[in-house]
Amino acid sequence: MKVDIGPITRIEGHLSIQTTVEDNIITEARSVGEMFRGFEVILRGRDPLDAQQITQRICGVCPYAHAIASSYAQENAYNLSVPANGRIMHNLIQGANHLYDYLLHFYQLSALDFVDVTAILKYTGSDSDLVKLRDWVKFEVASGKPFPATPFLPRLSGKYIEDTDLNIGALKHYIESLEIQQKANKASAIFGGKFPHATAIFPGGCTQDPSIDHISSYRSLIREVKEFIHQKYIPDILAVAQGFPEYWEIGKSKGGFMSFGLLPLGPELDSKRLFAPGVLLNGALEKVDFEAIKEDVKYSKYSSPSGLKVREGTLTPAPHKSSAYTWVKAPRYKGQVIEVGPAARIMVDYTQGHNQKIKELVDKFAGVAGIGAENLNSVLGRHLCRAISAVVIADFLLEETERIDTKAPTMADYELPESGEGFGATEASRGALLHYINIKNYKIDRYECVVPTTWNCSPKDDRDQPGALESALIGTRVETPDEQIEANRIVHSFDPCLGCAVH
Amino acid sequence: MPDLDRRKFLKMAACLSAAFGVGNLPAPVLAALKKIDGAVPTLVYLQGQSCTGCSISLLQAETPNAVTMITEYSKLSFHADMSATSGKQALALIEKYLSGNAGEYFLAVEGSIPYDMPEACVMGHKPFAEHLLDASKTMVGAVAIGTCATHGGIPAAEGNLTGAVSLKEFYKRKGKSPLIIDIPGCSVHPDWVWKTIVHLVQVGLPELVNGQPKLFFDRKVHELCPLYHDFQQEIFAKKLGEKGCLFKLGCIGPDTNADCSTRWWNGRQSWCIGAKAPCIGCASPIFAAKKDFPFYRIAKKGKE
Repeated sequence: MKVDIGPITRIEGHLSIQTTVEDNIITEARSVGEMFRGFEVILRGRDPLDAQQITQRICGVCPYAHAIASSYAQENAYNLSVPANGRIMHNLIQGANHLYDYLLHFYQLSALDFVDVTAILKYTGSDSDLVKLRDWVKFEVASGKPFPATPFLPRLSGKYIEDTDLNIGALKHYIESLEIQQKANKASAIFGGKFPHATAIFPGGCTQDPSIDHISSYRSLIREVKEFIHQKYIPDILAVAQGFPEYWEIGKSKGGFMSFGLLPLGPELDSKRLFAPGVLLNGALEKVDFEAIKEDVKYSKYSSPSGLKVREGTLTPAPHKSSAYTWVKAPRYKGQVIEVGPAARIMVDYTQGHNQKIKELVDKFAGVAGIGAENLNSVLGRHLCRAISAVVIADFLLEETERIDTKAPTMADYELPESGEGFGATEASRGALLHYINIKNYKIDRYECVVPTTWNCSPKDDRDQPGALESALIGTRVETPDEQIEANRIVHSFDPCLGCAVH
Repeated sequence: MPDLDRRKFLKMAACLSAAFGVGNLPAPVLAALKKIDGAVPTLVYLQGQSCTGCSISLLQAETPNAVTMITEYSKLSFHADMSATSGKQALALIEKYLSGNAGEYFLAVEGSIPYDMPEACVMGHKPFAEHLLDASKTMVGAVAIGTCATHGGIPAAEGNLTGAVSLKEFYKRKGKSPLIIDIPGCSVHPDWVWKTIVHLVQVGLPELVNGQPKLFFDRKVHELCPLYHDFQQEIFAKKLGEKGCLFKLGCIGPDTNADCSTRWWNGRQSWCIGAKAPCIGCASPIFAAKKDFPFYRIAKKGKE
């Protein structure tokens, strides 16, 4: 039977999943991106410096990743030499944004798949937040309204955590995490100007120069975030893993894994990064080659040619194309399906033994959970890899602040060239992000973004290979076929961002 | 919070309307205002061609914070980023409100509407535009949240392929004129939205200027800018990162109505000009609209 489980909520943007279910097993899955804006066409003919502002508006959840990718692409095109402080500011802004995003994803976007919200009705303590939440839910449920206590209720049917105290503790952390993610964003805003959408990030550095005032505020905020990560976020993930151990196996994608590397350790664009770049194809590690990326559109709503390289990208919407079921393109690496995101990032780094801390954390948590590194390709694996990333990034940001020279420049001097082209690659929290800019006569001639969720939520390609998320859904057992909480958990583990995917 | 007595509310609203000149509003708007009965308004929050930046910004609210807003001041009945349920249950919930079968509600809309290509934004196999037409018959009014919803924003910028328009423009083209409160900003400041809603709950319709709450959009960013002194003294930054007024680098503060210069962002942590970044006029109707009006006056223009 065919079941559409969309609209998928607790993600960014408009995503639907069309499934075919036989004997409670998903036998086919179509990932359907339902919104299109056309950023790449809007960018054509504009001033190149508009790009890092406009591309941030592709996504209000991870705008800084776009600002950074655009800045890298422009630095590449302008041949800019960035002062050390400028790169440090980029890292401080982007890194804090990752911390915020992991917390938002786990608590606001994923936790309600596992935590039983109705446990709040049994709360007898005196915590003011929980009392407020309990009384509100009680009042709403008693109101006789058709949908009481939305958005927390109703919910999909399925198994939730049974222990009342565990549920109530998680709900308390749900509320607390809102305050903590604000602290991470405040830290970003110190140098970025504001969140969402930072105006102080530029190719060549940052307009805000760092003072002791800024640095001490930043450090104090990140310390608080770090404490929450260690004291609450990690234990909560392990509690979910303990309650739902089957999710170390559920939601495996079929294909390779790719990371572009995150947080450069020096001012140059080709500096080593805190998280190493690489592609894992059939278990073997390769260097990333942007020329090996092609975007298929057989099942996407475009009439422009299929299989184009990034620098050749074009965009002609065809909303009524009969074979198409989504606005998302299907990027492939050497023709292979690729998963990007936290698990890919950690696996790529772990495989090459690049960052010792990542290796230690993977081994430690895998030991605690009784799994192997191969189980990172799973629902729980993606959650765990976000937490590992959070630990590594928080420590790095605190160290990075010590490298700031308050007397040195933070912004490069530059003149924009009449023509040029550049690639800029980074990791958004949800995966590998690539921007490409081509400038002619001082204007943007072509701009292309190949975005994390475009990889993960891609449709079938020209060879009919399903995308990463589609492949992770196929074969999954669902208890209630018309609701499919299991499929929702798999989708959420990818943290889809459809605004990014289609843009 | 205690429910306001309806009569007390209407009396208060009438007094305040007179005091703030709301009485001059057109008849349909006044009729809509009367429908707000002082109880906490139910908000049904839908996203069109959006980046979710405004929703994410709303979570950054501190005074009051988002939890207080959801549990005390508004009844947020649907929000795609928060809703525990999805699929058919979520659609049923939205449809019950939009069909008028679930009581009074205010619509909150983030994002633009693809007027020329309705297929470019779909929710539950139905174009977003059709959901909006359903809502126009049943909602008390709407809050257009963010520059995409108030003016079209970047999806409506020159050269766009979808014919994106603002909420007001969409309804206008469909021959409808519901009560709409415009709250621009890319992204929107959480205070601008939440405090407008608190105002709706406790007082009634706030005074509007050009359809926007006067409280936040009455003055230009430039007027209370801390660099105003530099502007008057003609101390201008000539390159990014330099001290001085940012006007010559392209700052659009003199043309943008918003209270960023005194409100700041992220819990008063910083704001664009505070970080020495020129205001890009994100709350302005002309934001990003034209290709030949770039954000910055830094690059050479090139041959036309």
